[in-house]
Amino acid sequence: MAPNVLYHCPCLSTSSAPPPPHLASSSYNFHPLHALFFCEECDAVRCNRCVSVEVSGYYCPNCLFEVPSASVRAEKNRCARNCFMCPNCRNTLSVVPSDPPDAGDGRLSAPISTVGEPPFFLYCNHCRWDSSEVGITFEKPTGLAAQLQKLEDAAPDSLEFDRLKEHFEPIIRASSLSSSSSVAPSTSHSQHHSNPITAAASAALARDIPGVAKYTPHARSGRPSGKDRSANKDEMPEYKSRLDISHASNYGSGGGDVDVDFMRRLEDVSEVASLQQRWNYSWSTSIETRDLKPLRIPLHSKRSKRCPACTHILIKPEPKAQSVRYKIKLVAANYLPAINVALPHQIEMLGHISAEAAKRSTKAPVDGDKDARSGLQAGKTYPFHMSLTNPLYDPIQVRLSVQRMHVAAATSSGEGGTTEKARRPPFAISIPTTPFSVAPFAEAWEYEDDEEMFGLDDDELEARLSGREKETKSKSKTVGVLEKRANVTVVGGEVALGKEARGEVKFNMLVAYTYRSDDPAPSEGHDASPSKKAVPETKTFAFYTVVDLGNIISKEEPRIDPYDV
Amino acid sequence: MEPPIYYSRTEFIETDTGNKVSRRATIAGPQNIILGGKTIISSGAIIRGDLRRSGPGHAVVISLGRYCVVGEGCVLRPPYKTYRGAFNYYPMKVGDYVHIGAGSVVEAATIGNYVEIGKNCIIGKFTIIKDCAKIADNTVIPPNTVIPALSLFAGSPGHFIEDLPESTQDIVEVQTKQHYARFQPLDRDR
Repeated sequence: MAPNVLYHCPCLSTSSAPPPPHLASSSYNFHPLHALFFCEECDAVRCNRCVSVEVSGYYCPNCLFEVPSASVRAEKNRCARNCFMCPNCRNTLSVVPSDPPDAGDGRLSAPISTVGEPPFFLYCNHCRWDSSEVGITFEKPTGLAAQLQKLEDAAPDSLEFDRLKEHFEPIIRASSLSSSSSVAPSTSHSQHHSNPITAAASAALARDIPGVAKYTPHARSGRPSGKDRSANKDEMPEYKSRLDISHASNYGSGGGDVDVDFMRRLEDVSEVASLQQRWNYSWSTSIETRDLKPLRIPLHSKRSKRCPACTHILIKPEPKAQSVRYKIKLVAANYLPAINVALPHQIEMLGHISAEAAKRSTKAPVDGDKDARSGLQAGKTYPFHMSLTNPLYDPIQVRLSVQRMHVAAATSSGEGGTTEKARRPPFAISIPTTPFSVAPFAEAWEYEDDEEMFGLDDDELEARLSGREKETKSKSKTVGVLEKRANVTVVGGEVALGKEARGEVKFNMLVAYTYRSDDPAPSEGHDASPSKKAVPETKTFAFYTVVDLGNIISKEEPRIDPYDV
Repeated sequence: MEPPIYYSRTEFIETDTGNKVSRRATIAGPQNIILGGKTIISSGAIIRGDLRRSGPGHAVVISLGRYCVVGEGCVLRPPYKTYRGAFNYYPMKVGDYVHIGAGSVVEAATIGNYVEIGKNCIIGKFTIIKDCAKIADNTVIPPNTVIPALSLFAGSPGHFIEDLPESTQDIVEVQTKQHYARFQPLDRDR
């Protein structure tokens, strides 16, 4: 497993410091850099767990049709064109004529979109299920969804649900008209857990709230004010269901004696539809596999994301469904330095393996072998490299510090605490503590067609190669700034593993960086709130990361290692 | 910070536009294949440019964009079908920054840009893969499937698993470029 760095999003924790990495909760607090967002207003990192999400458009994942939000509800969130899902394997179904004109090459050539012989049916390319098994055939190969939706709508559950809606609609309308006063507190209450902007975002939800507000508050707070409005409640006519629920199983919705009978006759497990096959249905269905009907494909959505605190938009996709561009895209990778961590001995080893493979002209060996040859061994000291890449147009000063695992223990985490295994980590990390600079990002380095860029890359590789050689020979400094090029600075650290060490080498690292923001307007403009243009101002932003150097392998196999001290 | 991937200089042919093609790859009908530049065709790959549409004239069968990687033992074969009684092959178009893992068999009609296909996948005939999609290792995509942009597919048959992060495009671009930079001859004279 390659060493990696994850970034902390403080949304889940109450304190600014993240939990120690050996706790299970740690993994929920850390995310890869590319999955994080950055709010310029709040000057804070946001993650997918804390942003508020709103739908900016619906589309069918199969025909890629962009469904106007007005018709989404009428079509019940499923594709109303010719897209169907196989009830058996959830693959997309194709429409085939009943008698392929060229039967010579069999069923596999069936998905021909030419008009063939009616009746048409739906056919699965993967599991060979076809809709004639459940008695669904079509006279025309077009407008199939409408025909199927009719079937769906005729389901007893669907009718019952429509009836319920019909029954409650006048009441909801009445209550929303008469008691708009009761709506206001209820909406604010329902949004208590999220935040005000989600309210605006889910306008559709808010519309339905009057009805909810009508009935839920009565239990709690409805008493005093209930006098005038409870009149409504009394007026509410009693609802009578369409069908008697005790006989529901007779209408094909499953449950009851029908299922018992079916189970008695059961010979093969595959006759029972799996949960996965059934839970895509809107209504409860029969549990028999042979009764499964084709499904219209559920729609997907494009989403925009907002900062939970200041409601600024962080992600706003282009309206076109299949566009991968964004109108607004504030991702953390454009603000925080990207940190890569590597173990030079591991890289060297992998390089060797790949070189050997190239010499022998064989395929690269399996990963297990690599792990065994390049893992971390207990009782040894390993250098590691961290490369910090500056995405900003201003130079930054970076200061790294290792978060102490246990405040009470060890004065510095740099000192090995091998004796108290349970209390302190079985390894000690030393990293440069003095601030160092990372040069600004310049567009010029991004010219991909520039041959020099590749020249530079080669040089860099060579530099690294030679640097490594130097290191192995002279045991020069391993902790400190090793290399600076373009907008990347490589710093070295060292990890000393305890004799009895085992498990993962993982530690939290606080990264603080200072940047000058003298021209806030054209640059990234992080300091949008207190922008004092006159004074060249320096700002500091700090964030936590967890650095995972990999697993410690047990000391059983002795081996020659260049870093063996 | 990634280790270089070495290859032996004798095995690979490097073109003017930076394509690196293994001599141990089977390239059938090279006149019908377009490589965009800086594309790597690994050893053991099979690219069937010979399966062209019937009829006279020049026909592009398989076109690959820039910074693509065709992994070891991959098979790229144009899709075919019988349409109105006539059997025919149809061209395959692959965008830029597309990584196809080792041992995958691809018969897609269109693959967008920034697409990652894992190892040992089977991409069925006439599959359309949109930009920035990702196919996990060992996935079987049945014929005629459409894979929307920024989605992860896995399983057999391949299903939608989740949406990929917004910055997928940038990540894949960096990765494929890095891969090309890391891919270097072993006996390089300094």
